Amino acid sequence: MKKALCELGHYFEVTMHVIKMAFLTIIEYPSNIAGWLISNPLQFIVGFATIKFVVEAFGEINGWNYGQLAFLYGISVISHALSMIFFVQGWFMGYFVIEGEFDRYLTRPLGVLYQFFFTNINIFGITDLIPGILVFVYGCVKCQVHVNAWFLLQVIVMLIGATLIRGGIYILIGSTSFHTRNAVDFGQYTQEIMDKTTMYPISMYPESIQFILTFLIPIGWVSFYPVSSLLGIGNGFANGLLVPFLTLLIGILMMLLAGAYFKAGLKKYESAGN
Amino acid sequence: MKKYLYVVKTQIIKSMTYEFNVYGNILMQTIIMITSAFFWKALYAGQGNVGGVDADSMLTYIIVSSLLSVLFLTNVERRIQLSVQKGTVATDMMKPINPFGVYFAEDIGNIIALVFQNMLPILIIGCLLIKVPKMADIRDLPLFLLSVVLSFLINWLISALFGMIAFTAVNIDALIQVKKHLIRLLSGSIIPLWFFPPAVSKVLGAFPFVYIYQLPLSIYIGKGDCAEHLMQMGIQSIWLAILCGIFLFVHNRVTKKVMVQGG
Amino acid sequence: MIDVQNLCKDYTFKRKEPGIRGAVKSLFTNKRELIHAVRDLSFHIDAGEIVGFIGPNGAGKSTTIKMMSGILTPTKGSVLIGGEDITRHRKEVVRNIGVVFGQRSQLNWDLRLGESFELLKHIYRIKQSDYEETLDVMDSILGIKEIIDKPVRQMSLGQRVKGDLVASMLHSPSVLFLDEPTIGLDVSSKYALRKFIKEINEVRKTTVILTTHDLGDIQELCERIIIINHGVMMEDGNLSQIIDRIAPFKTLVVEYYDEIAPDHPSCEMIEHDGNIAKYKFMKNDTTAADLIAELSKLRPIRDVSIEEAGIDDIIRIAYGE
Repeated sequence: MKKALCELGHYFEVTMHVIKMAFLTIIEYPSNIAGWLISNPLQFIVGFATIKFVVEAFGEINGWNYGQLAFLYGISVISHALSMIFFVQGWFMGYFVIEGEFDRYLTRPLGVLYQFFFTNINIFGITDLIPGILVFVYGCVKCQVHVNAWFLLQVIVMLIGATLIRGGIYILIGSTSFHTRNAVDFGQYTQEIMDKTTMYPISMYPESIQFILTFLIPIGWVSFYPVSSLLGIGNGFANGLLVPFLTLLIGILMMLLAGAYFKAGLKKYESAGN
Repeated sequence: MKKYLYVVKTQIIKSMTYEFNVYGNILMQTIIMITSAFFWKALYAGQGNVGGVDADSMLTYIIVSSLLSVLFLTNVERRIQLSVQKGTVATDMMKPINPFGVYFAEDIGNIIALVFQNMLPILIIGCLLIKVPKMADIRDLPLFLLSVVLSFLINWLISALFGMIAFTAVNIDALIQVKKHLIRLLSGSIIPLWFFPPAVSKVLGAFPFVYIYQLPLSIYIGKGDCAEHLMQMGIQSIWLAILCGIFLFVHNRVTKKVMVQGG
Repeated sequence: MIDVQNLCKDYTFKRKEPGIRGAVKSLFTNKRELIHAVRDLSFHIDAGEIVGFIGPNGAGKSTTIKMMSGILTPTKGSVLIGGEDITRHRKEVVRNIGVVFGQRSQLNWDLRLGESFELLKHIYRIKQSDYEETLDVMDSILGIKEIIDKPVRQMSLGQRVKGDLVASMLHSPSVLFLDEPTIGLDVSSKYALRKFIKEINEVRKTTVILTTHDLGDIQELCERIIIINHGVMMEDGNLSQIIDRIAPFKTLVVEYYDEIAPDHPSCEMIEHDGNIAKYKFMKNDTTAADLIAELSKLRPIRDVSIEEAGIDDIIRIAYGE
């Protein structure tokens, strides 16, 4: 127990230093800051405006009104932002595999996956967080949500779970490059699919797709099920107070699964230059 | 010309090297297309005609939009950025072959490979799983093809211009993203602008983005009449001319600057 | 210190046919070929040794050293460092090793060099006092403090290699792996690197394992060499003993007064250009002194010099050319 705590402390210490280095790197390239500050919020502001226009043209989307959609969109964007901060490197894992960048992680006495994600931590993901929080707060107001400690706890728990589910999916996709030995870069597509399945209620899709998104690729748990439960929107399945915690559980399971697949892939790692 | 054709050929081979990516891309694009289709089906549930278009036309719209997206993949911006970062700009410019010609040829080669690797499979899958995307009026085909060519050029020039910002020694990663989002959301590739409020839609009509996706797609599904299409293609051509002008202007300035400074 | 037992590594790869037709074809076929990059290597290295791995490109040197440092997982066999299996206990074992791979840097490109060192200090949990002491030692060998505040991207290759060397030694590992460390370096950087290796070996008793194409590195540094070709061990042993065994000859270079060079039964003329002739002779057959005496009887000699069989001869013979 004491050893585990000591180890945790060690990882925490390294993480703090890595974050410091990430900030130093940002300061090194000030022209980048403006670019990301415009780029990321722009994407979600335009995206949200689109939803507003669609709702205006069509009325409700599958029984979800504008305020509820804003709430869903907010949760989706916030969890997206968090996954961008911690796990976006998963999108580029293929390049790390091909270029032999895992060499250095393998020769250091820390977890390889930890080093891969945290020594490349993407502080700029914060710029996605801002529009997410704005839309989320707007959705809370529109839905007249009663904000209390229990509500906040559920939101936080579900955001952690959602971030882990997204991260797990990125790792699973990225780890395929160990086997294919190609620089797989499906980031763009993954993002597009995630957008389509987390920003709108998945109840609008046919049951077969809903089944896939619930049990096989658990994207439904990122935003749809926990938000339905929080807002009390009946959908005949997974309703109740504990859904946000279920999201967390599924997130942890996804991470374990992804970690195991990554480990198996790492055994096939070939470095570069041979 | 022969040199550029050679580049095209080499790039075709390069693009086909990574078979896993080929299949992965097809899978991902299929998923995107199918979710989009169900998205619109759900929206249209119980509604006949929204914004002047019915559900069936909308499905055709998204299938053809998926197919067109293959034509609008460019790599020119990354290539420019790389040549600036690696400091090979000057030597590239000295070569008897224009580097932008090479980038263009590479993108063409890539697209030719993708037409077979992605466009055809996606078309087949779309036909089987969603519907056969028949053109509303086959007589519009020449007009459609012409507008697609213009769209392709507009898209390529916009990418090249964003890439050229790299010559000011700024990291353009973020700007490439900005460009991508602008085109994704303001070109009608995902949601046609006719669902937007009229005022917004009018303002966006003044930008070049709409003429990349929405114009050819409107012709395809037969939204609007011929006169309207011709008028819009006029604006499309004007945009192409403007972008060409800017491109040549920037191109000459960059060339001069690089020649003087030697990169 | 290091025990390598029956180490094997196989790779699979997909052969591609040329042209567009080949590219299309490979989309639909899945023919893979197996390569045995390393086959059944076994050897033992004692603490404090400096061992050089040599062999032609693609011989399996890098693959071997990457398996020994825990980067690649062996197909078969095991690598024990300090008695522990590196594949099974990676995190514990790598605490004790340092790695410098010539082509790849572990330094943060964007930040000052010191920042990368600080990160390693946290990763290896190095005590502040130990950290400073090591830096002082490194400064005296490599003059690292002059460049510690320089951003890595602005450094020359030589400076970057120095940075990487220090980075690999910060946690005072007992084994240091170097893969082609001198590649691309200028003469003075090469000299600094060799000095560094000698000093850490002498002062810190660090075991050093390196691969190189530079025979100068081997001659300067290594008592023991291991020659690998096609993934198989060709030679393992003391450098001068190997020379004696597989290249037991010397070369006598003779300068005459004119262009006529005589032959002699106890030696073989291997080169003749103008006034200068080169003779190869076996150390067992004759001595240089005898040979000079014999030859001078045949033609007047102006000057002589003797060349030892060098490492390049060894390699040429061992590679079977």
